[in-house]
Amino acid sequence: MANTKVAIIAANGTLFDAYKVFNVATAAAASDAEVGIFFTFEGLNLIHKEAHKNLPLPEGKEHFQEGFKQTNVPSIEELVGIAQELGIKLIGCQMTMDLMNLEKDAFINGIEVGGAATFIEYAKDANITLTF
Amino acid sequence: MEATKVLDAKGLACPMPIVKTKKGMNEINSGDVLEVHATDKGAKNDLTAWAKSGGHEILENTEEDGVLKFWIKKA
Repeated sequence: MANTKVAIIAANGTLFDAYKVFNVATAAAASDAEVGIFFTFEGLNLIHKEAHKNLPLPEGKEHFQEGFKQTNVPSIEELVGIAQELGIKLIGCQMTMDLMNLEKDAFINGIEVGGAATFIEYAKDANITLTF
Repeated sequence: MEATKVLDAKGLACPMPIVKTKKGMNEINSGDVLEVHATDKGAKNDLTAWAKSGGHEILENTEEDGVLKFWIKKA
């Protein structure tokens, strides 16, 4: 997977969405792929300093809480740390941040901030492109 | 089988066995063997795919009492 580039758009903000994004991203990075994630709209919750530690389950799916405990899946906080350790590029959407009135310091350290063009430039030669 | 390093990934869910294996591999040299223990049922396919993507060789794998064991030779 070296010389493989993965571009991911994270556009949703529940706990399920966070696992979809970070599981695939960390698995790819652990396989030596270059990985970048563009967080936009509700997806920004996944890298918000406070929100990512306590993401809601999707409406009507609250009963899965127990399954998460039993399966011993890592916390999103832990996965975000692993993502950064593996060198995954985290890009926050400037436009969404502006309209939600959020500054860069509301997010975890080490993110980049950019617009759609920043992501397109990153993704233009990606081998795998995913949207969650 | 003689392993250079043994990695206990038992009780961990996807994607942690892969992430831990990647870290374990970083700590050994080319040609060395990493022994991985996992209970995640997806690990058998995942570790096989992971090894293939990095050009590593799975020398042997066993399953006993729900514990999957892999011996992976680093490329």
